[in-house]
Order: sequence, then C-alpha cells, then structure tokens
Amino acid sequence: MEQLIKDLKLQIKEALNLEELSLEDFDADAPLFGDEGIGLDSIDVLEIIVLLEKEYGIRLANPKEGKAIFKSVRTIAEYVQANRKK
Amino acid sequence: MINVLSTNITSPLGLTTEQNYRAVLSGASALRRYGPKAGEDRGPWGTTEPFTASLFSEEQRAELAIDGHTFFEALAIRSVREALSHISLDVASPRVVLILSTTKGNIGQAVRYYPSEAAAMIAKAIGVTTTPIVVCNACVSGLSAMLLANHLLSASLYDYAIVVGAEVQSRFIVSGFQSLKAVSAEPCRPFDMERNGLNPGEAAATIVFAAKSPSDKDMTGAVGWQLVDGAVCNDAYHIVSPSPQGDGLTNAIEAVMKGRDKQQLASVCVHGTATLYNDQMESKAIQRTNLSGVPLSALKGYYGHTMGAAGVLETILSMRATDDGIVLPSKGFTELGVSGKVSISSEPRPTDKTAFLKIMSGFGGCNVAALFEKGAWSKGQVASGKVTLEKVQTVRLTSADGTSPTDIYKQQIGDYPKFYKMDILARLAFVATELLLKASSQESEADKGHGSEVAVILFNHSSSVVADRQYLATIGDDEASSVPLSRERFFPSPSVFVYTLPNITAGEVAIRHHLCGETSFYILPERDETLMQQILEATLAQTNATSAISGWVDAESETCYECELSMYNTTS
Repeated sequence: MEQLIKDLKLQIKEALNLEELSLEDFDADAPLFGDEGIGLDSIDVLEIIVLLEKEYGIRLANPKEGKAIFKSVRTIAEYVQANRKK
Repeated sequence: MINVLSTNITSPLGLTTEQNYRAVLSGASALRRYGPKAGEDRGPWGTTEPFTASLFSEEQRAELAIDGHTFFEALAIRSVREALSHISLDVASPRVVLILSTTKGNIGQAVRYYPSEAAAMIAKAIGVTTTPIVVCNACVSGLSAMLLANHLLSASLYDYAIVVGAEVQSRFIVSGFQSLKAVSAEPCRPFDMERNGLNPGEAAATIVFAAKSPSDKDMTGAVGWQLVDGAVCNDAYHIVSPSPQGDGLTNAIEAVMKGRDKQQLASVCVHGTATLYNDQMESKAIQRTNLSGVPLSALKGYYGHTMGAAGVLETILSMRATDDGIVLPSKGFTELGVSGKVSISSEPRPTDKTAFLKIMSGFGGCNVAALFEKGAWSKGQVASGKVTLEKVQTVRLTSADGTSPTDIYKQQIGDYPKFYKMDILARLAFVATELLLKASSQESEADKGHGSEVAVILFNHSSSVVADRQYLATIGDDEASSVPLSRERFFPSPSVFVYTLPNITAGEVAIRHHLCGETSFYILPERDETLMQQILEATLAQTNATSAISGWVDAESETCYECELSMYNTTS
C-alpha cells in the first residue's frame, strides 16, 4: 500500500504538472480539492481518471463516482488496490 | 451596424438556408448515435465510447467534395458560393474581406494544417483577393466573426464581409470533448433536467454583410436584417468552466441591451449546448438581465454543436424564423432543469416582434451577445467613433534570445503554480503580459475595477500547433505511432486538449489579471502589423475598452517562438 501511494504521488505530480509541489510535502491524507489542500480543479479530476485507466486499467466512466474516490491520495490508492486490472 | 445581404446553411439537413429552415420546422434532426458495433471495441475514428453526432453521410460527402480541396475547405466553399449566388458582388474587389470561423479547421485531414492556409484556399476558390482572417475563439467563434465584420465595416476598412463558419468532426475533436466528459451518447437535451452533454456536429454557414443598406436588386430572403451591436466579455474565472453566476454573459448582454427596450425582442437564441454547466449558467445570466419573459430557442437538438459554424448557423435560422413570426422550438427539451427563470418550449411559438438576441459562451471564458434586428431599431444607428491608440509599452520574447518563458517565470514571477499546466503559447502570453504590466505599472487595473475596460486581442500564424501535436500523441495519432489508432495508445488527455484552442491563451491572461473585457484570437497567414493594427483600432472604436493588450504570440515548437505584446491606451 505504501509503495502504491508513493507511485500515485509521482504519477499525479507528473500528469498534473504540479511542478512546485515536492513529494515530501505531498501528504497522502491531504484533501486534493478545495483551498485547504492540494487545490486541484475539474480538469485535474479528468486527468486523474485518464491516469487510472492508463496505469491501472481502471475505467471510471462517470466522473460523479469519483467524488469519494478522489478525496486524497490514500483514498485513490485504496480504490486502485481494490479495482486494478494491471 | 451592418446589413445582411445573403445567407447559406450547408448541413446534413440541407444545402440552402431554406432547406435547412424547412427541415427544422418539420422537426428533423441529423443526430445519430455512433459507437462500437457489436463485437468490436472501437467506434468511428477509433473512439472507445459511444456518442451522438450530426455528421454528413458518405453520399453527402461525395456530393459536396471538390477536387484539390479537403472536405472542410469544400464545405466552406460550397456554402459561400451558394450564398453569393443570390447577389451580385464583385468578390475580387479590395473592399471585400473573408472571415473564416472555425475551431480546428483541417485537423485530421492531413494537409494545410494551419487554419490560415485553409482560409487562403477558400478565398482563392471563391475569388476573394484580400487577406483572409481566421477567428479562433472556441465555441463563440461564429459570433466573434460577425462582430469582427461589424468592426471592420463600421471602420470603413471594407464595404463587404463574407463570414463563413465551418467545422468538420474528427477523432481529434470528438475524443477531446469525450475526455472532458462533455459528450452525450444520446441526442442532446438543451436546458432539460436529463441533459448530460453535447453532440458534435458538422456544418458550414455563411452570412454576407454590407456596410451600407443594400439596393433593391440585391434583396434575398434574409435581407432587411441587421447586426445592430454586439459585445464580448470574459468571465476571468476558469479556462473551461463558465462562471457559475454567468458573470461574463450577463455583462455582454447588458452591454448590448443598454438603453434598449427588451420588450422588443422576439427571442433569445441561446447557446444551449446541453452540458450541465453551460445551460445552468445561461439561465442565471438570462434571469439576471431581466430576460426571463423572452422566449428562448435552443437549436443544438437539430444540428448538435457545430462549433465554428454554430454562431452563424443559429443566427441565420433565427432570422428566418422571425421573418415567419415564429420562435423556433427547442428540440430535445421536455422538463426544465436549470435554476434561472427562463421561458423555453419544445413547441413553436408565435411572435410579432422583429429583433432577437444571439448569445454564446465558450472555453477560454469568453461570452458573446449580439443583437439582430429587421428594420430600424428604436435607438437608431450605433455611432462609430474613431479612436487613437497610444502604445504605452512593448515586450518581446523570442526563442532567438535564448531565454524560455519558463526561465523568466522562475526568475521574475514565480507565484502562479498553474503556469506549469499551460502550453508554450499560453506561457509566452502569460509571461509577456506579466512583464508588460510590471513595466507599464498598470498591474492594478483590475483592483481599481477597470478590468472590463481592458481588451486582450491576440494574433498568430501557427494556431495551437504545439498543443495539437501533444494531444495527437495522447490519442496515438502522432508521427511516432507505428500502429495507427491502437487502443493501447488511446488515452485522450483533457488537460492537453484544452490548449488546442488557441484563445485559451487570452483566457489565461484574463484570469490572471481579472480582465473582463473582450478577449479574441485571430489567425493570419503571416505577421501583418498593418492589418493587426487596423483590427485592433476598429475593435476598440466599437467597445468600451480604454486599453488593450495586443500583439503577436506564435509558437511553432517548444524551442521556436516569437511573441511581441504591447499595452495600448485609447484616446477618443
């Protein structure tokens, strides 16, 4: 699980061009959206959906399902572990 | 104010304005469902998800094709030729300009990649001799193109403008909008409770405008109509999401309707893409501008979203319907699913009024409202003043200097993490504007509440070629692809796709500095300072803007670019 979280952090940082976010400061439990946490926006969610399909073979057709999944890197990791196809 | 001389719509529903109007009245639609057939995992163009679209059939494509031209060019040429067939116009005169509205031009057609090359081919085929101008303002391009015609003709730079909007669908556009989860697999349902996305559409539509009133012999079906006034206002909110309260659209409508009696409107022809956010935002703007009692018509249920053609096509249909005393029904609508108070119906409604408002909103945060009227509007002719421009400051950035926009950002700016999400074109304009505003000490325009008085008008040659190439790589359609259209390389990237609309660049500048005035992006065959200056002056003479950020921003690759932006102030 810890390795998966580490991989996801790196993949998200790269896919979303989070140039100024250091991996050390990227808390697995920090909220990804809203002003409090990482501050991602609607296009970022869609890009993470692409990432999950590309890297883990997970197809999430309805972005509304994503609300609970995309709370934090840890919630994404839990979802990936349960649903990954590769 | 300019006059409509002639019109044409060339779509899957017909080859003339009249055929299209009759088809719409009969409730016809060319929307069909496309997707993987049973036993296959790929639909048209190798897309993986089903979609509904309004596309030309193989037979129609063969009928419209012209040797030596792409289908996109042929479509535009056919439409312009048919419109010109109703009037006698000396097309080769230096007083005639061609304005092409498109979002992606020849994309997916393998030749004449740059929209200005396609425009040059179209101009040559129809006999126009002046430099064609391409308007690339995402979904609002068609209305922007008509407003540009209004500016250029009102400034007496030309006597006639041929405005043609055209779009051909492709793997590029469809997969891009699918990656943004904006495409519906079912026929779209504008303003409806069940709406869940847009349908891509193909069409070309033409309006020929004249500066002066036409003589009797020029009369055609649409004659007597005028484009009275228009406004472009940016949301300065987000590059793809509209402002939730419809701020920019509200401002655009207010700017156009100021001092005019809204009771004289037969209808408001809305954008009505049937995406959740667009229709909701439009309903808010309609309520905020006290237009809740004016009948709306949303026409995407007939044609889908024909993108570069949409503004022109929907304006023509609205003129034709108003001529018949009808507000067109909104196909696909059944139950109101927006919170702003609006009057919309799936049935035709009678009207005895002779004016309508056309509104559109699009990526890059731009919103446009334009007022069309038959006969004299109560306010009378809009005065067209002349302005003098004073160049306050200029910033140049070229690849020859050896400093990249990213280096400059790191060294001199550094407080805007979203910079790293931008493509090279947006980075260039962003950094240049930043330096420009620092140098001209006008950074606080927005803080002073002057954001609506600053226009951002950008020009280039290469459109969004760098982002286009990056996007093609994400859909496995790039040069590196050994197996074309392979599923293993089909991961359309929404964050790359958005930058394949060059006007996003102007939107980024608007967001950064809270600039809520006009934002426009024009593509020319080459850097032509005289023409750029003429367009800028003609635009500022017709708008409230007191200053402008304008100039050339072009990137052929990450390492070959040229940007020269200036800050202008106007003096009347």
